[in-house]
Amino acid sequence: MTAPTAPEAAKDTAADGPSDEPVFSVRGLWKVFGPKADRVPADPELAALDAAELRARTGCTAAVRDVSFDVRKGEVFVVMGLSGSGKSTLVRCLTRLIEPTFGAIEIDGEDVLSMDASRLRELRRHRASMVFQHFGLLPHRSVLDNVAYGLEVQGVSRSERRARAAEVVAKVGLEGLEHRRPGQLSGGQQQRVGLARALAVDPEVLLFDEPFSALDPLIRRDMQEEVVRLHREEGRTMVFITHDLNEALKLGDRIALMRDGRVVQLGTPEEIVGAPADDYVRDFVRDVPREQVMTVRTAMRPPLSGEADSGPALPPGATVFEAIEAVARTGEAARVVEDGRCLGVVDHAALLTVVAGTDRREEVAA
Amino acid sequence: MSATATARPAPEKTAPAVTASRPSLAELLRHPLRGKLAVLALVAAVVVPTAALLWGTGAWPENLTADISAPLDDANRWVIDNRDTHPLFLYFLLHLSNTATDAVGSVYDVLDAMGWTGVLAAAVLFAWRAAGLGRPGAKVAATAFGAFAVCGLLGMWDATLLTLALMVVAVTLAALLGMAIGLLAGLSDRVDRALRPVLDTMQVLPAFAYLLPFVLVFGTGTPAALFCTVIYAAPPMARLTALGLRGADPSVLEAVTSLGTSPWQRLRTARLPLARKQMLLGLNQTIMMALSMVVIAALVGAGGLGEEVYSALSTVDVGKALAAGIPIVLIAVWLDRTTGAAGDRIGQGAPGAGLLHGRSAWALVAGGVAAAVAARFAVGAAWPEGWTVNISTPVNQAQAWVTDNLSSGVPLLGGTEVWSENFTLWILNPLRDGLMWLPWWSVLLLVAAIAWLVGSWVSALTATAAMSLIGVLGVWTKSLDTLSQVLAALVVTLILGVAAGVLCARAGRLERWLRPLLDAMQTMPQFVYLIPVVALFGVTRTSAIIAAVVYALPAVVRITAQGVREVDPAAMEAARSLGASTRQQLLQVQLPLARPALRLAVNQGVVLVLAVVVVGGLVGGGALGYDVVKGLSRGEMGLGMTAGVAIVCLGLVLDRVTQSARKRG
Repeated sequence: MTAPTAPEAAKDTAADGPSDEPVFSVRGLWKVFGPKADRVPADPELAALDAAELRARTGCTAAVRDVSFDVRKGEVFVVMGLSGSGKSTLVRCLTRLIEPTFGAIEIDGEDVLSMDASRLRELRRHRASMVFQHFGLLPHRSVLDNVAYGLEVQGVSRSERRARAAEVVAKVGLEGLEHRRPGQLSGGQQQRVGLARALAVDPEVLLFDEPFSALDPLIRRDMQEEVVRLHREEGRTMVFITHDLNEALKLGDRIALMRDGRVVQLGTPEEIVGAPADDYVRDFVRDVPREQVMTVRTAMRPPLSGEADSGPALPPGATVFEAIEAVARTGEAARVVEDGRCLGVVDHAALLTVVAGTDRREEVAA
Repeated sequence: MSATATARPAPEKTAPAVTASRPSLAELLRHPLRGKLAVLALVAAVVVPTAALLWGTGAWPENLTADISAPLDDANRWVIDNRDTHPLFLYFLLHLSNTATDAVGSVYDVLDAMGWTGVLAAAVLFAWRAAGLGRPGAKVAATAFGAFAVCGLLGMWDATLLTLALMVVAVTLAALLGMAIGLLAGLSDRVDRALRPVLDTMQVLPAFAYLLPFVLVFGTGTPAALFCTVIYAAPPMARLTALGLRGADPSVLEAVTSLGTSPWQRLRTARLPLARKQMLLGLNQTIMMALSMVVIAALVGAGGLGEEVYSALSTVDVGKALAAGIPIVLIAVWLDRTTGAAGDRIGQGAPGAGLLHGRSAWALVAGGVAAAVAARFAVGAAWPEGWTVNISTPVNQAQAWVTDNLSSGVPLLGGTEVWSENFTLWILNPLRDGLMWLPWWSVLLLVAAIAWLVGSWVSALTATAAMSLIGVLGVWTKSLDTLSQVLAALVVTLILGVAAGVLCARAGRLERWLRPLLDAMQTMPQFVYLIPVVALFGVTRTSAIIAAVVYALPAVVRITAQGVREVDPAAMEAARSLGASTRQQLLQVQLPLARPALRLAVNQGVVLVLAVVVVGGLVGGGALGYDVVKGLSRGEMGLGMTAGVAIVCLGLVLDRVTQSARKRG
């Protein structure tokens, strides 16, 4: 592996980490707001209507429509979409902060929708904790007590929860601010408190609901790198909601792209950028710097005779951006090597095709 | 009809008067309003001739009245006869009233035992602790010191202690009761829906109307005073507790829920702490209302400062009334500043470290009070005899001079008594006669129509029912008399208040200068306003009206100023960029956009004016207020209660007629 930048390394370890066994398994999930919401998913005719017709006919709004996906252990699963696409409703359905209308949700094979109140509290206390866009900190408590709040709710003794909270505070880089009130912190610092609060209970899954949307761009980048770092260190499963495509591509092992309550495409960042499922997605990813996302695995062609022996070697997960650098430095086509075997080569032409996006047009034509 | 022409438009036109000058916003409202007006015209065309034929003109017909005063007198007699024998009294009410008397008595004993040094130290240190340790704390502590020192200097120390004792018990009970109700309403939507109209209504009823039922049950004395104070003062606490619980930041509550909190944990760790600021505001309002009521409750035997004012007023001894009135004002200011400052501190504070925080500060307070209590053995428990100033003689001399020199014969200006006579002759009397000249059914129709136009058909129904009840009770004429005073006072209040409010909003310096004055005026109990008015204008209907205007003015000025100032700055900027003159900005942008505030000002104004006009029965206001006073002082329950119910009805009518549907919905 050539020296990867931090995010890439995270993605690679994560790619090794995830097993196929899902943490969350969502099947045919619906959330309909409005009077007699139950009938909408039940009636195929109503279920097929688009948003405006549905509102006109029933007065209901379907925020989540027939969504299915698995979140695999150890991966960062990003749900991305524009505002109103239903992504925030979706993540709240996972721990039933919003009660789903129809469908099935399982966590580690256990049915979430049939849980009673105490079982559900257990789920929220120990297994899935959430970081919110607007932080949701208690203004009358110090940073330390906010971070310790989840443990307090679990009934952990005061001295123990403070000790554990202090560790997490240090982990997210808030040392020295333990005794401040949330109102005295900057937005980025407040979100670090929110993150620490979620981490303090050591949950199986972290849920992020647009956690960085309210932050300035520079602080947002810091926080994204913080999440990447945490994921690299702990390998914790994360579900991350965002409306920012770059954020999704940067953090996500897999991305579910939502529109009007439906998942229009689910795949790796490379699949989304390289093979958009429809015009909407294509439009969405048009301005993405493709060389940063596409890997040489996609860009390579079979080696001609002699090519397999010379030229710089790259792993198949390397980005086109890295390949361009190697090719430009050596002036030769680069080899894509896995386990000592040459899978293919990438030359100037292949790389330029990716950068120019002409490969995409061929796919469309084909 | 000329008289009614001045009278009627008051509630009807003050708010919509603004509408006329503006096309844009009116577009929104014009359609429903025009529809309603058309319907009204149609109904009037049918009903008015029919009613005129059927019932003719004149006051409420005799045969439609029901006398409730005789049964009430019987009930009163029964209560008096059975007070010592009936189980209801023996096992329930007697316990209540004994406990009340004991509680107030023991608090008084404690205050008395602390000695004046102890009470003074406790008041100062408590204020200092509640308001924080910096400059604001020092200021509030100085206010506390000044207030109590003046109480002593004016020779009112003992009366002050008695009032304080009653306040301590009443506020504690009212706050607990209000908090309990507020918790229920904050947590249950059904309770909230059921309680809100009740609390809303309780807040518009004049304090005077609360007295009689309690006298009927408990007789005059401390228990009646205490319980009516508790009931009168509890609603703001209940409302604001519920509001605080409901208004908690939903994103915080969601986050707290997402961590798996149980409902009880949510309440204890998030909802209640988040509602703290609102609850303190509620406590502040409860305290101010309790003080106002404790003073008025002198009429039912509360004793203390109110008693001093009351007995002085009944002999028109202005000097003595002032000597008792000043301590009331000072206590009001002390209580308001202390609780207000405590409220301000919430949420802005870094919990700093150091000696003077948390427990150590409270220990310091306790230590200081203990030291001061010890000091009383050196200087004596009672306020030193020699340290009093008699202000009543000089004040009475000044008042005599005013009466001699200013009441009449002032060149050009006339004089206070001349003004008062002219006001009565040219405004009050025609207004009253006009109202009485109106056929009774037309008054009902007018009330219904206005309430429907301004609000909804529900408010129209309520208002009409309340107005009819007044007729049924047989106090139609007296109520119209009171109504005429309210209307006259309201018009004056609105003209002065809206003008001052607009000026305040446009001239920041004026506002800064006026604000402390308005603050102080809003905290004073209604009773106090009667004192200077009687000094200047004597015992007439005009005095009551002037007191009402002065009492209601601060609220109207403040609401108007706030409404005008909070007009969307973007709209103002747009108007300025289009080159609108100051006048155009005011008439075309600020006033129209401030309409909700103006409407609120009318509503508040009418409620406050009514409260004082009724209390004005003590100083020559006559009509319903006087009946209540007479009923209380002569033990004529029937007369007093009937007037009390009529006041309640009048309050309902006036509130519904001025309260827009949007605010209620």
